[in-house]
Amino acid sequence: MSLARTRPGRFVARVLAISWKEILHIQRDPRTLALALVMPVVMLLLFGYGVSFDVDHVPLAVSDQDRTEASRRLALAFTEIGEFSPVGGGDADRADTLFRRHATRAILVIPDGYGKDLARGGPARAELLLDAADPVTANQVLTKADAIALAEGRRAAGAAGLHASPPLQVKVSTRYNPEARSAVYIVPGLAAYLMAITAVLLTALTVAGEWERGSMEQLFASPVSRLEIVLGKLLPYLGIGLVQLLLILGVGTNVFDVPILGSPLLVILAGLLFLAGMLGQGLFISVVARNQLVATQAGALSSLLPSLLLSGMLVPIDNMPVPLQVLSRVIPARYLVDALRQILLKGNGFASVRGDLLAMLIFAVAIVALATRRFRRRIA
Amino acid sequence: MSAGAGRPPSRARIQYAAVVRKEVLQTLRDRRVMFMLLFAPFIQTIVLGFAVDFDVDRVPTVVADQDRSVESRLHLRRVLADGTLRRAGEASSAEEGAAALDRGEAAAVIVVPPRFGADLDAGRPAQVQVILDGTDPNRSNTAAGAVSRYFGEESIRRAESRARAAGLPAPARVEVVPRLYYNPGLKSPPYIVPGIAAMLLVVVTTIVTAMGLSREREQGTLEQVAVTPIPATVLLAGKMTPFVFIGFFDVLLLTVAGTWIFGVPLRGNLAVMAVATLLYLLSTLGVGLLISTMSSNQQQSFLGGFLFTMPAMLLSGIMTPIDSMPGWMQVVTVVNPLRYFQEVARANMLKGAGFGDTWPQLVALALFGAVLFGLATWRFNRRAA
Repeated sequence: MSLARTRPGRFVARVLAISWKEILHIQRDPRTLALALVMPVVMLLLFGYGVSFDVDHVPLAVSDQDRTEASRRLALAFTEIGEFSPVGGGDADRADTLFRRHATRAILVIPDGYGKDLARGGPARAELLLDAADPVTANQVLTKADAIALAEGRRAAGAAGLHASPPLQVKVSTRYNPEARSAVYIVPGLAAYLMAITAVLLTALTVAGEWERGSMEQLFASPVSRLEIVLGKLLPYLGIGLVQLLLILGVGTNVFDVPILGSPLLVILAGLLFLAGMLGQGLFISVVARNQLVATQAGALSSLLPSLLLSGMLVPIDNMPVPLQVLSRVIPARYLVDALRQILLKGNGFASVRGDLLAMLIFAVAIVALATRRFRRRIA
Repeated sequence: MSAGAGRPPSRARIQYAAVVRKEVLQTLRDRRVMFMLLFAPFIQTIVLGFAVDFDVDRVPTVVADQDRSVESRLHLRRVLADGTLRRAGEASSAEEGAAALDRGEAAAVIVVPPRFGADLDAGRPAQVQVILDGTDPNRSNTAAGAVSRYFGEESIRRAESRARAAGLPAPARVEVVPRLYYNPGLKSPPYIVPGIAAMLLVVVTTIVTAMGLSREREQGTLEQVAVTPIPATVLLAGKMTPFVFIGFFDVLLLTVAGTWIFGVPLRGNLAVMAVATLLYLLSTLGVGLLISTMSSNQQQSFLGGFLFTMPAMLLSGIMTPIDSMPGWMQVVTVVNPLRYFQEVARANMLKGAGFGDTWPQLVALALFGAVLFGLATWRFNRRAA
């Protein structure tokens, strides 16, 4: 009781009262809460299983005009590694039609005389017709075809008793994600993405809803300050966001074997700073938009796409044109993605993610201050 | 309609025209919504087109040249020459290079061991070591490929010249010569932009329709319309008409931006694209309608729309190829209208596919549109009654 009479005590009490009111609101609409907690898990499972940049099972048609032991061996070298799946014979003249109809992605043409050339030791040539509309797949197919050709040549040379060991070798070792699994790369990025979406959109929607219904004005009539309303409204959603983060990490580690090499406390600290910024952004949008339809579209435009595309979650930031790289610097998701990857996958400590944490803190303080300022201006 | 201009228009047509007029007025009145529907897609296309570039180049690479011979310097310079890798620093050992990976200063380390040049000259097997930061599998695969390809070719060259020097026949060699169709420069934007069309249309139309109807229900204006003698089918058709035009406008905008800014080739007949867009809008609007009949307020409508659009985008093949998804997921993509629309859009714009090539996808889109719209009308009727 004595605490409640001091100034900070009253401040806390009023913030908690607003929070309690917000929690009651959330409780009354259990469908929204369920969606907010179920959606991240569903999305995580879909992304984790579905987003694989590692191309395999590329449909490949083979047109073997040579019909020798050697040509069959080459065709087998393509199909046996699991990166290509054979779709029967292909006709090089009909390549265009086959590609247009999605009948195959590549056609391996082994011309007559391939076996003879190989036996003679001259370069034996085969042709790979490739539907290059999708550049990522095409690039990987090219790399794999090169490797297969190299291995086939070596195998043929070895069979002839020549040059069992090549003069020059490359030994590749990979740190952090040695099996090159896309999920390990995607999950930390996805955590930022999913938290951004729910945090921004939930606050934008609920607060815009209060403007629409006029209940916000009643709040202003009560003896609570703007800052108390803002903090009180954000607190419950901070809790929901934190539960989301733990859910995502739990599913990520258990289902997709994403390692947590660094400190879990540091992960939570980074998550909290990020959430504070995203909630502030949602609030800011709702203050400006005041209507749920506009608030969702603005929320989607300002959080969904940037945190998907400009955060480095899917597309490396280094590859982007300079203006977009500059733009990415004001997107908090960028810093969370970087911090999470460093902490989870590399086991780096506070010292190396200090800059990321500071950037998220600055964004959070700035956006909450801005939203609080706009709050009064709108009501007056 | 062919009955001639003399006869008065049928009652359904008058009702339809009235609903369309009301919807157009309502949409035009809210400038912010108009902005969201017309210009936001344009901005998104520009950002997406420039940002989504999966081309990996300029991978920051630390080199550890422990040999410091003419030979090692030559190879290190040449392996970095094609631009896939970029020299980001020097290290004295593999450990020092790996520490640069930990700090995030580099994504690859190339280590040339001591006596590399001497081994090569003496005909002893020489080895180059590559250490990669595997957090981004796409990047590490490309970096590994670049180094392996360079030294693989060098190895073949060496083997051949040694065989020649010894008077032996040249060792066997296989070359797979690629011939690239449609996108020989392997550029991302021509592939991504038609995919963006599929994403934007679903974002713009599905969620806006779902929320718009929920809003009318919240405000009670839907009940007022329900007591008029307008049948539900006419009402819904009228409500959807402005969105069909907005959808067409967005596709047009995207096509123009795609060809002028991003070099999308537009090889096919644009009529195919128009038919596909119309059939696709039937599905996306139908889903929006269906969601609104299942929600009690705007917030639920939004979340429902979201719950549909996100997985639908993911399971469509827009961002990642369907072929590399697990089997059960490939099955799910079969009932996804986004998949068929992106296939038609890409086949049409990049490959010049016509009706003859894309009819299975168009039929699928028509089926989805009819089923979804029918289901939504039925539910809407039941709820209104």
